[in-house]
Order: sequence, then structure tokens, then C-alpha cells
Amino acid sequence: MKQKTPTWPWTLLLGLILLTVAGGIWWATKRVDYTWRWNRVPQYFVYRAELVEHAPADGRVVEVRTDGDDAVVVFESDTGERTEIRVDVGTVQVSEGEDLFEGDPVGARFRWRVGPLTKGLWTTLWISFFSGVLGLVLGLVAGLARVSKNPTLRGLAILYVELIRGTPLLVQIFIFYFFIGTVLNLDRIVAGILALAIFAGAYTAEIVRAGIQSIPRGQMEAARSLGMTLPQAMRYIILPQAFKRILPPLAGQFISLIKDSSLVSVIAITDLTKSGREVITSTFATFEIWFTVAALYLLITSLLSQVILWMERRLAVSD
Amino acid sequence: MIEVRDLVKIFHARGHVVRAVDGVSTHVARGEVVVVIGPSGSGKSTFLRCLNGLETFDEGHVVIDGMDLADKKTDINLVRREVGMVFQQFNLFPHKTVLDNICLAQEVVRKRSRQEAEAKARQLLAKVGIAEKESEYPSRLSGGQQQRVAIARALAMDPKVMLFDEPTSALDPEMVGEVLDVMKQLAREGMTMVVVTHEMGFAREVADRVLFMDEGKIVEEGPPDKLFSAPEHDRTKLFLSQVL
Repeated sequence: MKQKTPTWPWTLLLGLILLTVAGGIWWATKRVDYTWRWNRVPQYFVYRAELVEHAPADGRVVEVRTDGDDAVVVFESDTGERTEIRVDVGTVQVSEGEDLFEGDPVGARFRWRVGPLTKGLWTTLWISFFSGVLGLVLGLVAGLARVSKNPTLRGLAILYVELIRGTPLLVQIFIFYFFIGTVLNLDRIVAGILALAIFAGAYTAEIVRAGIQSIPRGQMEAARSLGMTLPQAMRYIILPQAFKRILPPLAGQFISLIKDSSLVSVIAITDLTKSGREVITSTFATFEIWFTVAALYLLITSLLSQVILWMERRLAVSD
Repeated sequence: MIEVRDLVKIFHARGHVVRAVDGVSTHVARGEVVVVIGPSGSGKSTFLRCLNGLETFDEGHVVIDGMDLADKKTDINLVRREVGMVFQQFNLFPHKTVLDNICLAQEVVRKRSRQEAEAKARQLLAKVGIAEKESEYPSRLSGGQQQRVAIARALAMDPKVMLFDEPTSALDPEMVGEVLDVMKQLAREGMTMVVVTHEMGFAREVADRVLFMDEGKIVEEGPPDKLFSAPEHDRTKLFLSQVL
């Protein structure tokens, strides 16, 4: 007879452990005498910027009127040129008939602006995206070369994989930026994306190779026996099946890539990590910013795993 | 239809040299059904796989419908579309539905339109008796059904020759009959067939000629009545006494 063991004590234990950890962290931060200022974080995502409008030259205010939410200040310079300056109502600092010198503030406008953390997040996203796509293409080509019968192709693929896997990504980024970037006159962004793509490509190549080799030989034989050429058999039979199998390791590789993209901050690309560092220099909110940055990386990577999970479920219909 | 002259296939395995096919010569006429029997490791499957170039051979000639596989100028893919093959492990494409399994090569290799390919596929599925399974994936079919789909897939290319590599060996006993029935029907319709099998009943009933192979050589060949009831060689006698 099958005994049904209750699971709630274990759930309770899990909750207790998490509470203890959280309590421990709280206690530890109390001890280091650190003032948490979480309220200073949101302004580094979006903030209302004050853009002050100045008098363009020496002159006189002719008229101040309101136009909807704007206030319009009509200004006439000493040379007789009229300009209309639009500012937000309530920020007007001048009155009709007042004499102004060039550069005097007239009023201000408030506009929403994205902060450095949002910009950094966006940079991280698109750098990861482009290097991911490029890495996938490279990995596919290198993976196919790796299983090819041609010794030249196979040799090149092995050399590529071994070279990249055997050296640290940080060093590769430096080499790409300082050496290859200088020789080919590459932009730092291009150098960063290429370094990441080539790094991801080497690992993807191994994943692709393993995926292709995991498909039973009979599949290739059946395809070839029907008169398909090798590329046709690869395209219609082997790769679709291999892709389904390598989706989980591929997902892991892309998650790694997103995290590894933080290393491009060393060549002064303002990604999420570098933005975080910059914000810290102006706020000294070290703990809050690093936790926020970590949470943002976690957000992107968990979204990606959800997408891949969904793809896996869709591809599982033929099982 | 098929002309085999002095075919030799050598495997090198861990220092051993195995002559899997050792100087086989034979001829298969149009519409003829040839059954190849023999003990395990006698080279009969290797011999069959040489006939459509799945296995490259070391010496000799295989000429299919005037095209010599030993000739470097022969486009193997052109030969293969005329030679259907059915495998022991079915080798259906698991990521495609039954219908797509049968349509794919027609569209990709024969360049038929989707409608044309589907019409052909449905007609063949009806012929092998599983018309209702066209939108299933292979994993949902029994072994016998999978093998019948595999036969339909090979037939969809309108081959001139069909090769069967132990088509019933991976099947549960109760499913062997349904596959053999399809093959018998094919034979009656005049398809040229080379069948490697352990089904002696099938050989006796359908074959025009039976080849008995051992150690890479054709030991004895002849019409099934003669070979089964009055074998000449001791090796043939021994084998038949063990399997019949």
C-alpha cells in the first residue's frame, strides 16, 4: 500500500530556514551600522528633470500669458528681435516689462527622463541580445564544422573551441578591445559584442555538436536513403530534433551570457553593472544599488528561462 | 535491375580485419523478389546496405538500373530516390506527423507540391491500412503501424526497387503479420524487392529466389522450394535445421 506522507512539515521547515537566513542578514547589516536609503534608488530609474530656460540676449519681457498648461513669455531683445519662450505655469520668474540680461532664468520645464540604471539595463539587454544571436549562429556553424568529415573544418572548429574555452572571458574582452579593436579600429561596443559572441559561440558549438551526435544514426540513414542530400537531411531531420534536445543547455548558455555581459563594463561600456558603479559614486548607497542591480539581472534571466520553458513545452507535442 | 559484381566490404575493428561482404555477385531482375537469409553476422545486412550506398564498399560494382555506384561520377542521391529502404528500427522522423513523414522527401527531393504529396501519402496510407493515423506522431503508433508508415514513406518516392533490412525483427510477434501482408501485396504488384529476413515462411511464400549467405559469401541460392527442401551445402542444411 502506498503511504501518503504529509508534505507540510517540510514546507514549514523551508519557511523557517528562509526566515532564519533573512533574519541573519538583517542582524548582520544592523551590526555594520549602515543607513539604508532605499528611497534614493527609484530616481536612478526615472526622474523629473528641471530644464531651466534662459533669456537669449539682453532685452525686455513684453508679455506673459498662459496657453493651456504652458506659460508663454514673449521676450524682445535690445536689437528688436522677438522670441517666445514656453515654460511650465508656476515656474515663471519674470513679469511683464522686466529688463533681463542674457542668461537670466525665465522659467523652467519639468520632463520625465530615464535614469542611468534604466539606460544600463537597456544596454545590457541589447548587448546580450546581439551577442546571443551572433553566438548562436557562430555556434551552429562551428558545431556543424565539428561533426563534419572534412579534417580542415573539424580542425578549425576544435581549435576555436579549445582556444576560447581555455582562456578567461575577461582576458578575451581585453584582447578584443585593446588589440583587435585597435588593429581593426573597432568601436568599443562592437568589440564587446564580438568578444561575448565568440565566447558564447564556442560553448554553443559544443552543445550543438552533442545535440547532433545524440540523434540516432538511423535518422540520418533514413533521410539519406530517401535521396536527401546531407544538407537537406541536416536541415529537415537532424537539426530540428537536435534543437529540441539542446534547448535546456542552450538556455543555460544564454543565461550565462547575460550575466557575463557585465564584464564588458571593464572596457567602459555603460551596461547595468557600470551604471550601478556610477550611481554608487554619487550616492554612496552601495548596498542598495548592488542589490537592485542583482535583482535586475535576476529579472532578465528568469524571464528568459520562462520563455525557454514555454518553447520546450510547445516542442514536446511529438513526444 | 540490380547487378552486383564481386562486391567486397571490409571493416577494420580494433586491429581485426573483417571481410563483411566477400566477393558477392548476383543479379536481381525487374519484378523479382529476392530474399536473403543467413546467420547473424553473415554480412547480409551489410550487403543490402551496399545496394543503396549507405555502406561504401571496397571493391566490385553495384549497378542499379544502369547507374554504377562504384563510379565516382554517379550522384548517389539520384540512385537513392529510385531505391526505397525499410529499416529494422523503422527510423520514422519522430518530430513529424505520419503525413509529414511521408510528404517531406516527396517535396524536398521529388519537388512535388504539397497537395500532390499529401494525395500520394493518403493513398499509400490507405494501402498499408492506417489511413486514420495520418495526423498522429510516430511515438503514438505501435511497432507494426510504424513499420507500415515506413514502408509507405519509402513507396511515396515511387522507387523502382525496395530494400527491406529485417523489417519484422524489432516487432512484437502479433504485429509481424500485418507488415508481412503489406510486403506480400507489394510483391504481388510486381515490385522488385530485396528482403533480408528471418521469416522463413515469408521467404517460402513470396520469394522468387533465396540467397543463403554465410561469412560474407553467398553459399547457396535457388528457388525457395528447392533451397528449403533440398539444400545442397552442409552449411545451409545446418542453418535450416536450426531455424525451421
